[in-house]
Amino acid sequence: MSVIYVLLTISIIIAVVFFVAFIFAVKNGQYDDSYTPSIRMLFEDELVKDQSKPSIKTKKTN
Amino acid sequence: MDEKTILELSQCFHCGDPCKKEIISFEEKSFCCNGCKTVYELFSENDLTCYYDLQSSPGAIPKDIEGKYDFLSQQNIIEKLTEFDDGETQIVTLSIPYIHCSSCIWILENLNKLNKHITSSQVNFGKKNVRITYNSKKYSLKEVVLLLCSIGYEPYISLEDFKTGQQNINRSLIYKVAIAGFAFGNVMFLSFPEYFEVGEFWIDQYKHTFRWLMFLFSLPVVFYSGSDYFISAYKGLRAKMLNIDVPIALGIAVLFLRSTSDILFDLGSGFFDSLTGLVFFLLLGRYFQQKTYQYLSFERDYKSYFPIAVTKIEMYGTELPIQVYDIQKGDRLLIRNEELIPVDGILIKGNASIDYGFVTGESATVLKQSGDKLFAGGRQTTGIIEMEVLKSVEQSYLTQLWSNDVFNKNRLDSFTTLTNVISKRFTIAVLSITCIATLFWLVVDPSKALNVFTSVLIIACPCALALAAPFTLGNVLRIFGKLQFYLKNASVIEKLAAIDTIIFDKTGTITSSKKSTAVYEGVEFSESEEILLKNTLRGSNHVLSRSLYDILDVNNIITLDHFEEHMGKGIEAKFHSDSMKVGSSSFVGTTEEMAVLNTVVHVSSNNRYKGKFIFHNKYRKGLSRLFNRLKQQYDLAILSGDNEGERDYLKKMLPTKTKLLFNQKPVDKLEYIQYHQTEGANVLMIGDGLNDAGALAQSDVGIAISENVNVFSPACDAILEASKLRHLHMYLQMSKTAIKIIKWSFILSLMYNVVGIYFAVTGQLEPVIAAILMPLSSISVVIFTTVATNISARKLE
Amino acid sequence: MEIQQFYYDNKIVKKFLFATMLWGVVGMLVGLLLAFLFLFPNLTDGISWLSFGRLRPLHTNAVIFAFVGNAIFAGVYYSTQRLLKARMASDLLSNINFWGWQLIIVAAAITLPLGYTSSKEYAELEWPIDIAIAIVWIVFGWNLIATILKRRQRHLYVAIWFYIATFVTVAVLHVFNSLELPVSGLKSYSVYAGVQDALVQWWYGHNAVAFFLTTPFLGLMYYFIPKASNRPIFSYRLSIVHFWSLIFIYIWAGPHHLLYTALPEWAQNLGVAFSIMLLMPSWGGMINGLLTLRGAWDKVRIDPVLKFMVVAITGYGMATFEGPMLSLKNVNAIAHYTDWIIAHVHVGALAWNGFLTFGMVYYMIPRLFKTKLFSIGLANLHFWIGTLGIILYALPMYVAGFMQASMWKQFNPDGTLVYGNFLETVTEIMPMYWMRAIGGTLFLLGMLVMIYNVIQTIRRGSEVTDELAEAAALQKVSSKRVASEGWHSWLERKPVQLTIFATIAILIGGIIQIVPTIMVKSNIPTISSVKPYTPLELEGRDIYIREGCVGCHSQMIRPFRDEVERYGEYSKAGEYVYDHPFLWGSKRTGPDLHRIGGKYSDNWHLNHFYDPQSTSSGSIMPSYKWLITDALDKSDTETKMRVMVKLGVPYTQEEIDNAQKSITEQGTQIEKNLYADPDFAKAYEADKKSGGSDFLEMRNREVVAVIAYLQRLGTDIKVQDLEPQTTQNQ
Repeated sequence: MSVIYVLLTISIIIAVVFFVAFIFAVKNGQYDDSYTPSIRMLFEDELVKDQSKPSIKTKKTN
Repeated sequence: MDEKTILELSQCFHCGDPCKKEIISFEEKSFCCNGCKTVYELFSENDLTCYYDLQSSPGAIPKDIEGKYDFLSQQNIIEKLTEFDDGETQIVTLSIPYIHCSSCIWILENLNKLNKHITSSQVNFGKKNVRITYNSKKYSLKEVVLLLCSIGYEPYISLEDFKTGQQNINRSLIYKVAIAGFAFGNVMFLSFPEYFEVGEFWIDQYKHTFRWLMFLFSLPVVFYSGSDYFISAYKGLRAKMLNIDVPIALGIAVLFLRSTSDILFDLGSGFFDSLTGLVFFLLLGRYFQQKTYQYLSFERDYKSYFPIAVTKIEMYGTELPIQVYDIQKGDRLLIRNEELIPVDGILIKGNASIDYGFVTGESATVLKQSGDKLFAGGRQTTGIIEMEVLKSVEQSYLTQLWSNDVFNKNRLDSFTTLTNVISKRFTIAVLSITCIATLFWLVVDPSKALNVFTSVLIIACPCALALAAPFTLGNVLRIFGKLQFYLKNASVIEKLAAIDTIIFDKTGTITSSKKSTAVYEGVEFSESEEILLKNTLRGSNHVLSRSLYDILDVNNIITLDHFEEHMGKGIEAKFHSDSMKVGSSSFVGTTEEMAVLNTVVHVSSNNRYKGKFIFHNKYRKGLSRLFNRLKQQYDLAILSGDNEGERDYLKKMLPTKTKLLFNQKPVDKLEYIQYHQTEGANVLMIGDGLNDAGALAQSDVGIAISENVNVFSPACDAILEASKLRHLHMYLQMSKTAIKIIKWSFILSLMYNVVGIYFAVTGQLEPVIAAILMPLSSISVVIFTTVATNISARKLE
Repeated sequence: MEIQQFYYDNKIVKKFLFATMLWGVVGMLVGLLLAFLFLFPNLTDGISWLSFGRLRPLHTNAVIFAFVGNAIFAGVYYSTQRLLKARMASDLLSNINFWGWQLIIVAAAITLPLGYTSSKEYAELEWPIDIAIAIVWIVFGWNLIATILKRRQRHLYVAIWFYIATFVTVAVLHVFNSLELPVSGLKSYSVYAGVQDALVQWWYGHNAVAFFLTTPFLGLMYYFIPKASNRPIFSYRLSIVHFWSLIFIYIWAGPHHLLYTALPEWAQNLGVAFSIMLLMPSWGGMINGLLTLRGAWDKVRIDPVLKFMVVAITGYGMATFEGPMLSLKNVNAIAHYTDWIIAHVHVGALAWNGFLTFGMVYYMIPRLFKTKLFSIGLANLHFWIGTLGIILYALPMYVAGFMQASMWKQFNPDGTLVYGNFLETVTEIMPMYWMRAIGGTLFLLGMLVMIYNVIQTIRRGSEVTDELAEAAALQKVSSKRVASEGWHSWLERKPVQLTIFATIAILIGGIIQIVPTIMVKSNIPTISSVKPYTPLELEGRDIYIREGCVGCHSQMIRPFRDEVERYGEYSKAGEYVYDHPFLWGSKRTGPDLHRIGGKYSDNWHLNHFYDPQSTSSGSIMPSYKWLITDALDKSDTETKMRVMVKLGVPYTQEEIDNAQKSITEQGTQIEKNLYADPDFAKAYEADKKSGGSDFLEMRNREVVAVIAYLQRLGTDIKVQDLEPQTTQNQ
C-alpha cells in the first residue's frame, strides 16, 4: 500500500498547482468581470464573412 | 399624451424611438432624426451592421456636443484621465452609462473598425465602462471621445474621474475564502480515513503522515484566512465590547492548539477539519453578504455631476478651457447648451433657461435675464450664455453643503448589529460554562479538565450564530436587488427595520421629474389656432415646449411659413395670415400678473393674448395609498425645496397627520433631520436631487429615488427605482421580517450548541462529533435562512 | 502593438473531424461484433485475433481514444483558436499531434488483436505505445499552452481552463498508471502489484473518465452550446465555480471502483465520500448547460445541433447522478461485476460523448466548408435513431444487471444457492443481449447517416480555407501599468507557465517518491504460504493476460455470503503480492476464477478450452483451439523472472537458472494427468503417430501453461491456516 504515498503526493501536488493557478487568475483580474466574456465569445470575428454564416446574423429573436 | 398615436408612428431603426416629427428614410429604413441616420451610415460603411442584428434598434441619438470636450486636449487633464501612456500608446477607461446590451459590447469592441488608430477596446458590462487602447501619436483622447459621441455612446467624464486615480480592487477576501476552502477540502480527505476505520494495519502506517499534512494545510487557514477574526476580536476587546468575533477567534485558536497538541502527543487526529471548515463557512458568509452593484455608486457627491473643465473667456475674447478647480471669483465663463454651471455667478450675456433637475430633481426650467443670479448645478438648456463668477466651486451655494461634517464622520460604528448584541450575552454564557465545567472536572477527574476546557470552547464556537445574519441579510439584499431596490450594504437592512420616522423630499421624489400636467387658463382656442399652436411647439426643442407638445393632442401636420425661436424668451410662428407667440409673459406681451408659484407658458395669437398653461407636478402612482399604509407605523413628513404652490393639493391627497414643510434649503433639511434624531427618532430620508444630499447623509437611512439607476444619484444608503416607491412599505416590512428570521436562526444554532456542549462538558467530544455538528449546524442555518427569506419575499411581488 | 491579421487553422480541425468519424465507425463496428459474440460465441471460431477477449480492449480503446479523442482535438483546436483570437502556436505541432495520434491508434488496432496488452483497463497498450502517447500528448499540451501564451484575448474563457486541466491531469495519470518494466519489445510488467496495482489502476481508470471523457467535453459544451444557441451561458460565474470545484474533488474518487475488494476499507470509504460530493459540481454544470437553452426551446426544435446537445447534457446528468449512486456501498454490492455498469458506461459514452460529438460535427462541418448542412431531415433522422439506439442499449442492460445480481444472490431455504450453476444466470439474460445488439446497431446506423449527410454537405461546400481574422496583440508590460492597476500585470502569463513547470515537478517528484516505496517490500505484509508463480504458471498467466480473459472473469471474491458460497473463501490482499499486474477484473460475464484452482480436472480445462459448450452447455465462452495447437514460447521466461525479481518477487537465481527445467517437469506432470482421460489418450497418441518428427508434445503447448496457472489460482491459502494472517493483512 506504499502506493498511497505516491497517489497522495500526486493528488496534492496537482491540487496545489491548480490552486496556485486559481490564485494567479484571480490576482490578474481574470474574474473581475464575470459577465462580458460570456457575451464576447458569441461574436464571430472572421473578416471573410459570407452572409449565410455568422451565427449572430440569425439573432433577430429576443 | 396619446399612447395609441405613438404606437402607430413608425419606429426609428437606430434608436427605436417613435419617429414623431419627420421620418427620414434611408435604404428603406426609417430614422427619427439625421443623427440616427448618420450613425447608421457610419456603421454600414464600415460593415458594422451586425450591430442591428444582435439587438433590434439598440442605438442612442448622438447629442450635439460642439466644443463640450475641448478641455480633453489639455495635457494635464489627459494625464489624469489616462491610466497608461508611454508616448506611443495611451489607454483610457471611460464610463458609458448607455451600455445596455450585447450590441453595445459588440460595437464598442469593434471601434478599431471605425478608426484604425484605436488598437483595442474592451467592455466591462458590469461596470458599464470601456477600456480603449489607441495610438496617441496619430489619435488623441479628445478624438476618441468625439468618436464615441458620434455613435451615440457619449462617455461620462466628471470631476470625480479627475480626482480619483485607478482604484485597486481588493480581492483579499476571495483569496481567504479560496485558501480556506482548498485547505478544507484536502483536510477533509485526509481526516476521513481515521473516522472510517481505526486500528487497520495501513491506517496505522499512514495516519501520522495524514495528520501532519492536515496540520500544514491548517496553517495558512489560521494565520491568513482567519486573521481578520483575531484582529476584529482584539479591536472589540479594546473597545470594551464582546463582539461575535471574540468567541470565534477563541474557538479558532483553541481548535488549532488543541489539534496540534493532539497530533503532537498522538492523542488523536485533532479537529483540523472542523477548524478549516469553520473558517471556510464563516468567510463564505462574509463573501455572500457583500453583494455589490458594480455600475452603482453610493458615494457620489457633486463631483460626479460637475464637468472637469469649462470654457473661460480671456479679456481679449479668446476662449480656453479651464479646470473647474481653477475658477476664481471674477472669471468670465462661457456656458454652452447642455452644459452644467459649475459655480455661482451672474448672467451677463444671453438669455438663460436653466434646468435645476440635478439639484432639485425637477426638470422644469427657469428663465433668467442678464443680471440674474445663477446657482451652481443648473444646466443651461438653450443656446450659449456668458456669466461672471461670484464664488469658487467649494464656496458655491450648492457645493458648500459638503463642507458640513455629516460627510466626513463615519456613522457606521455607532450602530451595533443584532449579532453583536446577542454575542455579548452568548460569550459570557460560554465562558462561564467553560469555567464551571473545568472546575467540576478538576475536582472529579483532573486528567479530563483540560480536555473539557478546550472541548467546550471548540464546540461553542458560534459558527452558525455568525452565519445567521450574513446569509439572511445577503439573501434579502439580493431579493431587493431583483426588485430594483439597491442597498449599499447588508447593515442597511437592520437599520431599515429600526426606522420610525420617514421624511420625503417632494420634487422628483414623490413627483415624477419627467411627466407634468398643464392646465390651460384663458380664452378657448379656435380649430386653426390649436393646429398652429401644436405645429409651432413642434419646431422648438425647448423642454417646456416639448412637454407641452406632448400634452396637447396631435393635429394634422402643416408646414409653417415662418418659425423663429428667441433664446430664453419663447417662440413665434406664422402660417398664412395667422401668427402665434409662445413663451414668457414679457415676450408674449401680456400685462396680466404671472403666477409666481408655478411654471407658466403664455400664448398669444395674432398678438392677442389668449391665456397661459400652468404646469403642475405629476405625483407618482399609488402615493396616497402608500402614505395611508405607512401612517399607522411611522411619522411622515414632506420637506420641499419649492414654494407652497402645491400645499393644498398635497393636503387633500395625503393623510392629515403628515407634516408639510416648504422652501427648505438643503441645510434646513439636514438640520430638520438632526433635530428629530436628537429627539430619539430613527429617520429614513427619501430624496433624489443633490439638494437632498445632506439630508440623505444625516438620516439613519437615506434612500435615493432614481428613474433610471444608470443616471447618477447622490450619496445614500440605498437607491430605489422610482416606479417601486409605492412598494416602500413592503420593503420596510421585509426588513423587519429579516430580523425576525435572524433571531429564529439564532435559536436554531443555539440548540446545536447545547447538544455540542453536552458532549463537551461530559468530556466525550470526539473529533468526528465536532466534524459532524459544525457543518450540520452551519448548513441547516444557511438553509433555514435562505428558505425563510425566499418564502417571505414571495409577498413582495 | 498594432492590429494584427491572422488565419484560423481550419485544415487541422477538418483532419481531426474526419478521423473522428472514421474511428467512430471502426470502434462501434468492433463493439457491435462484440455484442454479437455474446449471442453467437463462435462467430469468429478459431480466429485468435478476432476473439472476444482480444477485441474488447480494442473496442474500448478505439471508442475512447480514437473516436472521442479525435473529437476532443477537433473541438479544442476549433474553439481554442477562436476563444484566444490566435492561430495554434505551431502548425508543425498540430500535425505531429494529428498524425502521431492516428499512428498510435493504428498501432493499437494492430497490437491489441495480436494479444499485446498490459490488461489494465483503458491502459491496455504496451509500453512503447504508452511512451508514444505520452509524447504526443505533451506535444498537444505544448501547442495549447504556447497558443495561450500568444493569445490576443486577455480573458481565458472557462472552456480553456477545462482544456488545461485535461492536459495536465491526463498527462500525470497516464504516466503514473503506465509505469511498467519492459520484458521485451511488446511485453512488460506493471511496477505495482496486486492491491496497489488495483488502486493505481482505478485511480487512473476513474480519472481517465473524469479528465478524458468529462472535462474536455464540459469545455466543449461551454463553447458550443452558447455558440449553437447564440445566447450566453446561463451563468458564467456558476461555470467558473463549476470548474474549480470539479477539479478539486474529482481526483480522489477512484477507489469507488474497488468497493468490498481487498482494498483497505477506509480507502474505499474515501472513494465513496468523494464520489457523493461529485454530484454537486457535476449537476451544477449540467443545470448551467440546460438553463442556457431556457426560452430557446423553439430553436432546439428546429436545430439538430441543439437537439443532440440537449440529449448529451441530459445523458451527462443521468450518468453523473448514477455514478455517485453506484459508489454507495450497498448499491455497488449489487451493481458491481454486472451489466448495470455496462449500461452506466454507455449512457455516458453514447449520450454524453457521442451525441455532443455529433452536435459538434453538425455545427462545424457547414462552417468549415462555408455552406449549409445538406439535409436537416437526415440529421433529425440520425438524432431519433441514435436516441432510440441509446434507450434500446441502456434499458435492457439495466434489467440484465438487476437480474444477474439478484440471481447470484438468491439462496434456497437450506442455504444452498438457487442458481448454483453460473450459466443459469447467463442464459437468463440472453434476450437482453439481443436487444442491446439491436440498440447498438441503430446507433451505428445513425452514425452512418451522419457520415452520408456530411459527405453530401462537403460536396456542395467550398474547399476548407483558413479564416482570416484580426485583433490587437496584448500590450507588453510597463511599470506604469503594473503600478496603475493589477488587472493586466505581467503575472498574467504565470499560471500557464506554472502548469508546465508543475507538471514536470510532479513527474520528477512522483518518480522520486515512487522508486523507493515500490521497491521496499518490507511494508507489504505477505502471507507466509503465498509463493511466487512457477515459471510455467507465469507463462500461463501471460497467456491469460494475452487472451484478455480478465474481460469476462474476475479474480476477486467479495466477502458476501453468496460469493463465498459460490466461489470459495473471499480474497485477501496478501494473496496478490506477486500479481504484476493485478487481474481482479471488473465484469463477470463468466464466473470468478480466483479459487478455480483444483476445482476441475486438467482434462476438463482442456476440453473446455477446445469446446466450452461441450463441458458446459449454453456457455457463451468462445473456444480457444489455438491454445491447444500452438507451441508455448519459453524464450523469455528467464527475462520475465528477472524483471519480477526487480519488482520484488523473491525468485532465487537458482530458480531462474532452472526455469526451463521446471517448465518441462510441470508440463510433463500435467500431460500425465491428461492421460487420465482415455479419449484424450487415444486421440493424442493418434496425432503423435501421424504427426511424425515435427509433432509438438502436449507439455510444450500453451494450453498446458494456462491449465497450470488456473490450477494454481487461489490455492495458496487454505481456509484453516488462514486465520492468523487475516488479522495481519486486512
